Amino acid sequence: MTKMIETIDLVYEYQKDEDERIMALKKVGLKVKKGEFVAILGHNGSGKSTLAKLMNAIYLPSGGKVYIKNMDTTNEEKIWEIRRTAGMVFQNPDNQIVATTVEEDVAFGPENLGVAPKEIRERVEGAMKAVGIDEFRKKSPHLLSGGQKQRVAIAGVLAMKPECIILDEPTAMLDPSGRKEVMDTIVKLNKEGITVIHITHFMDEAVKADRIVVMDNGNIALDGKPKDVFSNVDRLKQLGLDVPQVTLLAHELKNEGIAISENILTVDEMVNELCRLL
Amino acid sequence: MLRDITIGQYYPENSIIHRLDPRFKILATFVYIISLFIIDKLFAYTLVTVFLGILIILSKVPLAYILRGLKPIFIIIIITFGINIFMTKGVVIYNIGPLEITKEGLTTAVFMVLRLIYLIVGTSLLTLTTSPIQLTDGIEKLLNPFKRIGVPAHELAMMMTIALRFIPTLLEETDKIMKAQMARGADFESGNIVKRAKSLIPLLVPLFIGAFRRADDLAMAMEARCYRGGENRTRMKELRLHKRDYIASVIVIAFVVLLIFTRIQG
Repeated sequence: MTKMIETIDLVYEYQKDEDERIMALKKVGLKVKKGEFVAILGHNGSGKSTLAKLMNAIYLPSGGKVYIKNMDTTNEEKIWEIRRTAGMVFQNPDNQIVATTVEEDVAFGPENLGVAPKEIRERVEGAMKAVGIDEFRKKSPHLLSGGQKQRVAIAGVLAMKPECIILDEPTAMLDPSGRKEVMDTIVKLNKEGITVIHITHFMDEAVKADRIVVMDNGNIALDGKPKDVFSNVDRLKQLGLDVPQVTLLAHELKNEGIAISENILTVDEMVNELCRLL
Repeated sequence: MLRDITIGQYYPENSIIHRLDPRFKILATFVYIISLFIIDKLFAYTLVTVFLGILIILSKVPLAYILRGLKPIFIIIIITFGINIFMTKGVVIYNIGPLEITKEGLTTAVFMVLRLIYLIVGTSLLTLTTSPIQLTDGIEKLLNPFKRIGVPAHELAMMMTIALRFIPTLLEETDKIMKAQMARGADFESGNIVKRAKSLIPLLVPLFIGAFRRADDLAMAMEARCYRGGENRTRMKELRLHKRDYIASVIVIAFVVLLIFTRIQG
């Protein structure tokens, strides 16, 4: 499989105060394959958001390299192609919608790319359908719910025909139903072949990914399949993260001496496992 | 409490006037304003009245809705009427104490007031029948030729769009902050002007900080979506002149010529 994103010894430093420099990322090496669904977890200040912004060339590395489809993010000529290839969705749904109607906002990206009007129209229709917002096309963004606004933002990225979408805590400001809407959309897009980098601090969202990368203090602490990552319950707690409730329950049961598998991530799996034991 | 503010005063309808190209409507409004200052005879005023009446009927906007726009300038109308009626010299037809009403004064006053009313009604017909987005697009396109002499046409239009987009968001935020401050005992409604102005500080400071944060986020989001100014940018909805726009242009030009003719005639 071809690689979509590659970071090599990535370092990012910034000036916080006059005499205090913060090293947000310390030698991060990460490879993401095309079509993969990667969730990046980490507590506040672990560097996960910084990593996302480096992948979109919003920040440029202080050291090391970031490659998007073999394009170096420090290459100024490629910057727009990089941003088109790896689209980005941000946390605050209000602060990333530019236009006064849904369809105009979805058209914003392709308009910037200089796509022909007729093709923009087609792309906008396609993107709105893909995330299920075509019924609100003429609506003003401030009349939409948080989940709907975030889907507008995703459609805005989709209309640029990206190969990868980086979502920087897109669900952090949403209510549970909004979170579900957005998660369902992300999972669907990934099934259609788009590489997804999903930054979150909700464990139940991370479970849906193919792979979880846990960040801690500017480094990658854990990297692997959800089952493998969540089986390290003690390590995750030490990193200041929760594990899904059922996984925690399984862990506690095992500690009590019950021969239960630790690879349990969902309620269904728990039910099956318990039935087996009984 | 700030929720039901509508932006601009667009009246959504699907009339022929609504469908006209915004560029044409803006230019026609300019021509209309100028022509209002050309006319000086009763006949010309009658023409304008009929013309405006036809436009209003065609636009399907209720008359009461249009006349509501006159409310804010009611006082100006009264003052204009007063000054003109009493200050013009001529044949005295009536006395109120030391004030004299002249025949000339009466006609000028009536004409001036009509001019003002037609000015407001005509221009609000533009904003009533053209959505803010269309207006912005129209202004951008009209300013385009002036880019060469340094008029930032695209930037102005983008600023207008963003302002329109964020007015409701900021109003909601103002509402939220107000409630939060009121819950902590802030009082926005009593006291004299100075006291009231002072009580706005705890409202404005967080509002401004919030607005700057939003601006920062938005700039980043726009860059992430490949925004790099107006160059090489295309638009999904292109403004295109239709047959109706050409017909309307001919009508407007004919109308103005007719008005100029009435002026030269006498």
